[in-house]
Amino acid sequence: MVKITVNGRVVDADPTKPLIKACHDNDVDVPMYCYHPGLSPVGSCRICQVEVKQGEAPGRVVVACRTQPAEGMVVDTESPKAHATRRECLEFLLKNHPLDCPICDKAGECDLQDFTYEEGQAQGRSHEPRRPLEKRKSLGEVIVLDEERCILCSRCVRFFEEVPKKAQLTVSDLGSRSVISTFMDRPLSGNYQGNIADLCPVGALTLKKFRFQARVWNLVKMASTCVECSRGCSIQVETLRGSDVKRFRPRPNEQVNGWWMCDHGRFAFDHANAAGRLEGARMLEGTQLVQTPIEEALCAVRDALMGSKGGLVVLSPFCTVEEGRALRELAQRHQAEIAYVSPPPSALKDELLHTGDPCPNRRGLEELGIRGEAGETLTARLAAAKVGLIAGERVVELLGPERVRELPGTLALFAFECHPVASRALRAEVGIANHVERTGTVVNVDGIRGPLAAAKPAPRGVRALERHLQDLARLSPRRETAVR
Amino acid sequence: MKAYETYLLDRAKVEGNHQLATYRRLGGYKALEKVLKGGLTPAQVVDEVKRSGLRGRGGAGFSTGMKWSFMPDVAKDPRPRYLAINADESEPGTCKDRVLMERDPHGLVEGSLIAAYAIQAKAVYIYVRGEYRLPHDRVAAAIQEARAAQLVGQHILGSDFSCEVFMHKGAGAYICGEETGLMESLEGKRGHPRQKPPFPAQSGLWNSPTTVNNVETVFNAPFIVERGAAWHAAIGTANSKGNFLCGISGHVNRPGVYELPFGVTAREILEDKAGGVWKGRQLKAWFPGGSSCALLKGADIDVVLDHDSLRARGSSLGTAAMIMMDDQTSMARVMEVIARFYEHESCGQCSQCREGTQWLSQIFHRIAHGRGQADDIDTLESLAKGMAPGKTICALSDAAAIPTLSAVRLFKDELIACIREQRDPLAAPAPKYATVGAH
Repeated sequence: MVKITVNGRVVDADPTKPLIKACHDNDVDVPMYCYHPGLSPVGSCRICQVEVKQGEAPGRVVVACRTQPAEGMVVDTESPKAHATRRECLEFLLKNHPLDCPICDKAGECDLQDFTYEEGQAQGRSHEPRRPLEKRKSLGEVIVLDEERCILCSRCVRFFEEVPKKAQLTVSDLGSRSVISTFMDRPLSGNYQGNIADLCPVGALTLKKFRFQARVWNLVKMASTCVECSRGCSIQVETLRGSDVKRFRPRPNEQVNGWWMCDHGRFAFDHANAAGRLEGARMLEGTQLVQTPIEEALCAVRDALMGSKGGLVVLSPFCTVEEGRALRELAQRHQAEIAYVSPPPSALKDELLHTGDPCPNRRGLEELGIRGEAGETLTARLAAAKVGLIAGERVVELLGPERVRELPGTLALFAFECHPVASRALRAEVGIANHVERTGTVVNVDGIRGPLAAAKPAPRGVRALERHLQDLARLSPRRETAVR
Repeated sequence: MKAYETYLLDRAKVEGNHQLATYRRLGGYKALEKVLKGGLTPAQVVDEVKRSGLRGRGGAGFSTGMKWSFMPDVAKDPRPRYLAINADESEPGTCKDRVLMERDPHGLVEGSLIAAYAIQAKAVYIYVRGEYRLPHDRVAAAIQEARAAQLVGQHILGSDFSCEVFMHKGAGAYICGEETGLMESLEGKRGHPRQKPPFPAQSGLWNSPTTVNNVETVFNAPFIVERGAAWHAAIGTANSKGNFLCGISGHVNRPGVYELPFGVTAREILEDKAGGVWKGRQLKAWFPGGSSCALLKGADIDVVLDHDSLRARGSSLGTAAMIMMDDQTSMARVMEVIARFYEHESCGQCSQCREGTQWLSQIFHRIAHGRGQADDIDTLESLAKGMAPGKTICALSDAAAIPTLSAVRLFKDELIACIREQRDPLAAPAPKYATVGAH
């Protein structure tokens, strides 16, 4: 570590990292387009120019992303010279930028737009027409490229070279004719394409799935954790005014996912938005499932568990640590056995982030002493039991919907699920909140805890599983009483 | 007409000198023998060149011996070391290396080997401009002949020194003549210049210590080794030593490449060598060293040609490629052509250069075609100041800005007249065919 002065404040800086990082780490704002903390610096956009003084030499304006901090360096990011240089640079960047912010998906979170508001001139000086290029060039199934908006920062090019380590994009042609393209216009491939839309400092690379879906300032953003594999990438859940989820985006977390997430997780919000939710509770009356007050259904669960010794509680691996703990207590109270469904690994496993293990909270549940078993084993055990409780998001899907449907009538099956359950054994079912509607904690493959956030309200009459379990505990007599 | 001692072009004037037999008959490879058999150490060669005052001929005019001495100590740095010869001569107006490669290819090979010995490089890469077919073929043939004669390859002339010489053809990009762009291109990548530092001597080709020298620079090495630093240092002016090749082109009677010592005046070259301005006209403006230098007015023709005196006039010697323009020349048109060249050749990495070169080109195009706007001159000036100096990764942006600033400074009235009259008073008649693109 070396000591440098940034805008009059003496701070510590890592001499192996670019100066811009030292500025950002100390909350000094320096604009950047080509620089990204997760990629190698190239110093091509030239927007991060700051004034640097070393020793007695007069101040020089340098690019902060290609300058190493040195002991005693005096950095002024706000000097008139630095401002003037950045303003000049900005004018060049805007020379051919179409300024179609009103129809651009990036508007509102665009680095170029933000910095133009801050620093730019109100009036352009160019009399020339702007460079006409392709406005909507498909780069595969995920990304669409607007060549006109591109400021050629090359972050996307470096991303594929450095992160998934499979180069797919390049800058083709020279000078002002440069465009981003793939080799022979081949579509992009791989599980990490979506990241380049986050990386793009302007609206050149956009997600096909997010195009024209929402203005970003209407999105409510909550910090959460991805539940599509046991990596548990830190994400931001973005809902349109608190209703549907429009976007999952990675949240920087150097311990877990860096700045990235995979497309499998990124586009997994269809689950979260799916219609046909189980609302309130339903109980079997005769041969019909009828809507009942939740309290009644919970009483039925309690009665069934109390009456039987040796019930079976089956958890979804999507259950949080808190839900796991509450279900374990419930099982202990009624001397029931407990296990979670452990589906086979998926083929999506890779070297970068995806672990291939579809259980987001395997480690959290294992730490609670709950063991995982395959769907077949658990349905067989359920079929042999008198009372069964299946609980958690997607538990039916993971047990196998067919096998659940065919469970024998000798079993009294109770379910806490997001969607209605189809089973011959079903006695009562209660709707629960999904992973973007409830809070909780999941523990990833490396033992790092990630929060779930209630980013949107659950449908009417739907509460979190944890809430139901609390009510159930209140309804149950203490264990001593039950034993006596 | 004064006579000066010549040596650079002497052999080139002899028919058949591109072949080894003739070259040897004319004293070729004597210097290499002196180095390898005479027991000169690499440090002694570097020192000799340092004392000779030889400066790089690629445009920047940096001391060659100094550059060689920047290579890390071979005992402390086990990485392989490379010498790259910049033969990507593509500056408008510059054609001196072409003459050397076509007519004296062995001189280049010998010079390269001496330079490689001095910096203890095991390989030399000669990066030739793609359009230079004959120069490429001549040098390639020379390397083959030299290899057969044990002058290239393992144990050169029976000594411990081994060095390979490879040829590499560029694909026609001006930016690959920038030393870091050249290295990227040699590595098989796009010719995008690298940010310095690290300098090539610390981390160049394949992250190894590399020296990049111009053809004419290393061509001088054998003469210095053979005749001694003192002989070389006696020619020229205080800070510019030796003879240089001057390519004079444009509106002159005898354009060509001439060899002269530093310290002659531009008038001597124009009048004695190139036969004066053509058609009996007056000199209006000239570039002293290729189109990247600041323009000078015709009245400046008595300037002494060396690095210092041109710097004092606000220009530079560059590659000593003088482009002469007569009094019928439209400066708006000249600048249009030059700005279009830099627009076409900008690599596109840095914002200022990518957009700025295009912008300059668009403005000069409008002015030259009678569509200038009242604020154009101010815009040109502030754009050029926003592009240089030292605001980008390499100097291409500066190369576009410097002539622009000089044109605006020296020929402002003419440009304003073009804008005011909405036509170019000096416009040449329209060409019979349409020109497409920059080439």
